[in-house]
Amino acid sequence: MAIVEGPIDVGGLISAAQRPDCGAISTFVGTTRVDENNGASVEHLEYEAYKPMADRKLEEIGAEIEERWDVREVSIVHRIGRVEPGEASVAIVVASPRRGPAFEASRYAIERIKQVVPIWKREVWSDGYIWVGSQVGTRTFTR
Amino acid sequence: MNAGYSVKVLLFGAAADRAGTRETQVHAGETTLDELWPILAEQYPDLSPMRDTLAFALNGEYARWDARVSPGDEVAVLPPVSGG
Repeated sequence: MAIVEGPIDVGGLISAAQRPDCGAISTFVGTTRVDENNGASVEHLEYEAYKPMADRKLEEIGAEIEERWDVREVSIVHRIGRVEPGEASVAIVVASPRRGPAFEASRYAIERIKQVVPIWKREVWSDGYIWVGSQVGTRTFTR
Repeated sequence: MNAGYSVKVLLFGAAADRAGTRETQVHAGETTLDELWPILAEQYPDLSPMRDTLAFALNGEYARWDARVSPGDEVAVLPPVSGG
C-alpha cells in the first residue's frame, strides 16, 4: 500500500503480483476524466491526503480483503498532487488462485477507498475549481 | 498561547480552503469535539456552513462528535472524502 506523488507504475505492480499459486490478477485503475459543462472543462485534478491516517486506512482495507477472500497479493497505490487528464490516480492489483475473489476484492477496495480513506480531489476547471464531494470552490456554475 | 493547553487542528480539502489555513491551535482544556467546534467556527466563520458535512479524526482515527479531546491531541477536520 502506498501514497505516491508521481506517476503510478501499473505494469510494475502487475508484474510484482504474478505468482505460481495464483491463476488470476485483477487490476483496477482509476484515471482522471475530463468533464465538460457550461462551455468549460476540467484541466487537471489535484489530490491531497491526511497521509498518516490514509496510509493506515489503506492497510486496513488490505487486511479486510485478506480476511474475506482467498487472495495472495493486494497492492493499492493512490497518487496525490497534480494529476493530468487520463493519468492514473489509483491502482489496485489483487492476485488470487481464482478469478472470482480477484474481481470481487478489487471492486471492494475501490469502493472502500471512496468511503473511508482521507483523500480529497479538487477539479481545476478552465473557469474555476471545485472540491469534489464538498461542492466548495470558485466555479459559479456547478453540476 | 500555552502549548500545554492547546489542541492542534488540521484542516483538509474544502475545509482548509474555507478556513484559509491547513493547521491551527485551539486553546482548550479537557473538552469534546462538539464543544471544540464553536471555538473553531468562531475563528474561521466560513467553516460554519460545512458543519453537517464534516467528519473528524482524533489522533488519526475517525471520532464521533462526543469524543473526548485533551490538550496535546491532534484533531483533523475532514470534509467528505473524494479519493479514487
